[in-house]
Amino acid sequence: MVERIEDLNLPNSVIARIIKESLPESASVSKEARAAIARAASVFAIFVTSSSTALAHKQNHKTITAKDILQTLAELDFESFVPSLTQDLEIYRKMVKEKKEIKASKKDTSTAENANASTAAAAEDATE
Amino acid sequence: MASEDLFEFSEDLDLEQAMETEAEEPGETEEPSEVIEETPENPPTEATTEPVADKPVTNGHKASGDHEAKMTQLPLARIRNIMKLDPDMHMANNEAVFTVAKAVELFIASLSRESYTYTAQSKKKTIQKRDVEMAISAVDSLMFLDGAMNF
Repeated sequence: MVERIEDLNLPNSVIARIIKESLPESASVSKEARAAIARAASVFAIFVTSSSTALAHKQNHKTITAKDILQTLAELDFESFVPSLTQDLEIYRKMVKEKKEIKASKKDTSTAENANASTAAAAEDATE
Repeated sequence: MASEDLFEFSEDLDLEQAMETEAEEPGETEEPSEVIEETPENPPTEATTEPVADKPVTNGHKASGDHEAKMTQLPLARIRNIMKLDPDMHMANNEAVFTVAKAVELFIASLSRESYTYTAQSKKKTIQKRDVEMAISAVDSLMFLDGAMNF
């Protein structure tokens, strides 16, 4: 599952960037404070997951969905996150759908200039 | 580059896999693109597909790929690994992982802002650990962090 314990830490550089972006220009953050925030973030992820798992089980489904996560967040007093997350999720869904469509159209076309592409796609499938 | 990978892998692996691959396989698309003619058995295809698939299609992809690369700052594979720590969690779909990643980003930002109010109160510019601790003990919804922070 997880080979090294470091695989569970969130990347420091990303954490530092998110913190910086959320604060006024002049502000900075000490190393210890950043580590504390990073730890809190990991704990938050686990906390949200286990609460969502409980919720999913209660509703008799095994796979946690985005809906479970959003509902959990609302229950845990983080409903202020929900509108922005809902928006992001919509964009994400659109993007995934677009990708699928592009893939489908790639497969469907049998025109000459796309021959290479589909061959390549086929080859890719073969190597999978 | 990462965006190309995204596109490449998420196409052909199953969705879940694609997520995990995302963060871990930058670099494979960098190989120079010789045009592959006809051979499906040709091994270097993975790396070359993108350039070959080319003009009209690729442009579209690149755009959406870049977009996805920007959608979460945190690596989804890492988030998924953290989620898997929950022994009761059997499966989470990609959307769920994405949502958690975004939620964690919001969480970091709001905890930082909350901590900074204590920093500012003491007329300082640099957030110290105790500012974070004070924020945690002051905000009700952060109760879950009590006891998880001191080690």
